[in-house]
Amino acid sequence: MWRILKNELIFLLRNRVIKAITAGFIILLLLTIYLGSLQTETQSETYKAAKSHLREQWESLDAVNPHSAAHYGTYVFKPANLLSSLDEGVRGTTGNVLRVEGHVQNEIAHSEASQMQFVSKFGKLKSSLILQFIIPLLLIFLAFRSISAEKESGRLKFLLLQGASKSNILWAKLLSVWLFGLLLLFLTVALYVLINFNSINTDTFKRLSLFFTSYSVYYFIISRLTVFFSAIWQNATTALTTMLGIWILWSIFLPNIMMSTIEKLYELPSRDEFQSAMKEDRSEGINGHDPKDARAKALKEKILSEYNIDSLSALPINFDGIVMQADEEYGNMVWDKHFGAIRDITTKQKRAYQLAAIINPFISLQNTSMGFAANDNYHHQAFLLQAEHYRRDLIKTLNDEHAYGGSKTGNWDWQADNDFYSSIPDFTYRPLKFNEVFFRYRLDLIILMCWVILTCLFVTLSSNKMKIA
Amino acid sequence: MIQLSNVTKQYKSGTALKGLTLQIDQGQIYALLGSNGAGKTTTINLLLGFLNPTSGEVTLDGLSPFKDRKAISKRVAYIPENVSLYPYLTGVENLDYFCSLAGIKKSKQALKEILTKCGLQSGAHTQKVAGYSKGMRQKVGIAIAYAKEAKVLLLDEPASGLDPAASNELTMLLKQLAKEGATILMASHDLFRVREISDRIGILKKGELVRELKAETVSANELEKVYLDYMQA
Repeated sequence: MWRILKNELIFLLRNRVIKAITAGFIILLLLTIYLGSLQTETQSETYKAAKSHLREQWESLDAVNPHSAAHYGTYVFKPANLLSSLDEGVRGTTGNVLRVEGHVQNEIAHSEASQMQFVSKFGKLKSSLILQFIIPLLLIFLAFRSISAEKESGRLKFLLLQGASKSNILWAKLLSVWLFGLLLLFLTVALYVLINFNSINTDTFKRLSLFFTSYSVYYFIISRLTVFFSAIWQNATTALTTMLGIWILWSIFLPNIMMSTIEKLYELPSRDEFQSAMKEDRSEGINGHDPKDARAKALKEKILSEYNIDSLSALPINFDGIVMQADEEYGNMVWDKHFGAIRDITTKQKRAYQLAAIINPFISLQNTSMGFAANDNYHHQAFLLQAEHYRRDLIKTLNDEHAYGGSKTGNWDWQADNDFYSSIPDFTYRPLKFNEVFFRYRLDLIILMCWVILTCLFVTLSSNKMKIA
Repeated sequence: MIQLSNVTKQYKSGTALKGLTLQIDQGQIYALLGSNGAGKTTTINLLLGFLNPTSGEVTLDGLSPFKDRKAISKRVAYIPENVSLYPYLTGVENLDYFCSLAGIKKSKQALKEILTKCGLQSGAHTQKVAGYSKGMRQKVGIAIAYAKEAKVLLLDEPASGLDPAASNELTMLLKQLAKEGATILMASHDLFRVREISDRIGILKKGELVRELKAETVSANELEKVYLDYMQA
C-alpha cells in the first residue's frame, strides 16, 4: 500500500494544475488566518480601550446617589476569543456589548453584521468557510476519478496483476487525498500558532488539537466516500455527481432543513411574546418607584415590625434601598424564569441538532469547530449569564449602599463617595474551561467517529463490489 | 500451462463463451482470432482471474485464476491493446513502480537494461511517459512482464495501432520471450501478424472455437480465406 501511496503523492507533487490550486489555497488560507488574527487583535484592542475608558468613567464618578449610579450603569464586553480567526461562529451576529443597569436586563448589541453592511449582505471570507466548504469540495474533485480513472485506463488490471490488492489500492487512494486535505489544514493551524504563539496556553492548545481532529475526521469521511463512489460506479462522472449531491445536501440543504424542523419542534417565543410575558410577570412584583404599590407597603410593614417601630422616619436605614433591591430580586426571578425557559428550549434544540449529525456529519463538524473555537451559542450564553451575575452583584452593592450606607428613607440627595464606586470590581469574563466544552461536544465527536467506522465499512464493501472486467 | 475445459461464460446480456476447450503448452504462442464480441477478451479475463466461468474449468499452471488470484498474479503478465502507464512518471519510474508492486527490486541500471532489451531507446528511459508513442508504451508493458519473469503472457490486440516497424519489433520480442519459455496467448484481428508470430491459431465465433490451425501449415492467403469464410458463414 505504501508504494501505491507514494506514487499517488508523486502524482500530486508533479501535477501542475494541482500545484497551482494548492498554492492558491495556501495563499488564501494564510491570508484569511492572518487577516482574521489581525481583526481579532484590533477588536481586542478596541474593546480593551472601550472597557478601560468606561472603567475610568466609573471610577471617576462624582459623589452621587447609588440609585442614580444604578441607572447610570455601565457596559460589559464579550472579549474577542483567540480562536476567532479560525472560526468566528455565531460571534458575527450575536453582538458583543451589553449595557448593565438597574431594573432591566438589556439585550446584547453591537454585532459585526449590524455594523458592516457587506458582512450582513455577503457574509465574510473566513477560514471556517474555506475549511468547511471549499476544502471538502477540493478533496471531492481530487478523489472522484481516483479509482474510475484506473478502471477506465485499464491500469487497475495492471496493478492487480502486479500483486496489489483491491483494498490496498483503495486505502492508498484515500490516504493520498486525505493527506492533501490534512496538509492544508495543518498549514492553517500552524500559521495560526505562529501568529499567536505567545498567547497560546494549554487550554487553547487542547481546543486547537480537537479543532484539528474534527476537521481531520471530516476530511477522512469525505475522501473515503468519494473513493467509495469512484470504485463502485462505472464512470467518474457518476461518482462526481453523487459526491457533489452529497456535498450540497450535507453542507447547504440539510443543516437549514434540520434547524428549521428542530425550531418548529422546540419553538422559541417571539421577542414580543417574551417581552410581554416578562412585563406581565414583572407587574406582579414590587415596583420600587411606586410608593403606593401594595407589595411595597407589605414589605414596609415587615421591615417596621422587624425594627419594632411604626414609622419609616424612625428607621435607622434607608427603606428606599431595600425596596429597590426587593424590586430587583423579583425582576431577577422573573428573568430567571423566562430566560431559563428559553435556555431549556435552546438546550433541547442544540441536543436535537447534535443528534441530526447521525445523518449529516457536517453538523458535527460545524458544532465542534464553533465550540472549540469558543464562538458557539454555548459560550455566548455563558457570557450572558456571567454578565447578568455581574449586573446583579453590581445593583445589589449599589442598593445595599443606598439602604445601609448611612442615609435615611426618602433622602434621595444622599450621595455615596467616589471611593465606594472605585471599590466595586470591574466585570471580568471567565472563559469556559476546556473540559466543560469537551463534555458539551463529546456527542459530536462520537458521531464523527461512528461515521468513520461506517465509511470504513463502505470501503470494505466497495473493494468486494469493485468490478474489474 | 494454459487449460480451458468446456468453459462457458454467461452474462446477463448473453453468452460470451460456449464450451471453449483449449490447451496451450509452455513456450507456445497461441493466437485467438475473431471479430468484436467473439469472446477473445472474455477468455483473457477468465485467465486473468477477473471473471469466474459459468461452467467448465480454467487452469493456469495447474491453478485456478479466479480462486488463486495471488499465486496467479506472480505467474501472469497482461498486455492490453493500450498499455496505460502513469504519464507523470518516466519509463524507468513506471517499470520500477510496477516491479515494486510485484515485490521485485532492481537497480536503476538493471531496469534500464530491461527497457533496452524490450526495444525502448535509451534516450526515452528517463522521459516522462506522457510523451511516449503507443509503441513505446507497449514496450514498457512488455518490460514489466519481462522483469516479472512471467510464465504466461496474455495479450489483447497488442499490435493494434502500431506502425509496421513497431509491430515487427513486438513480434521479435514475443518470439524471444517464447523461446525463453514463456507461454503466450494473444487475441488479435491482425491475420498477417498472427500467422507470423504464433504456433497455433484459433478462430472464435460467437463464443465458440470454430477452427484451430497450425501456423506453419497455412499460408497468409489461406488463413484469410478460412477466417473470412467462418466470419461470413
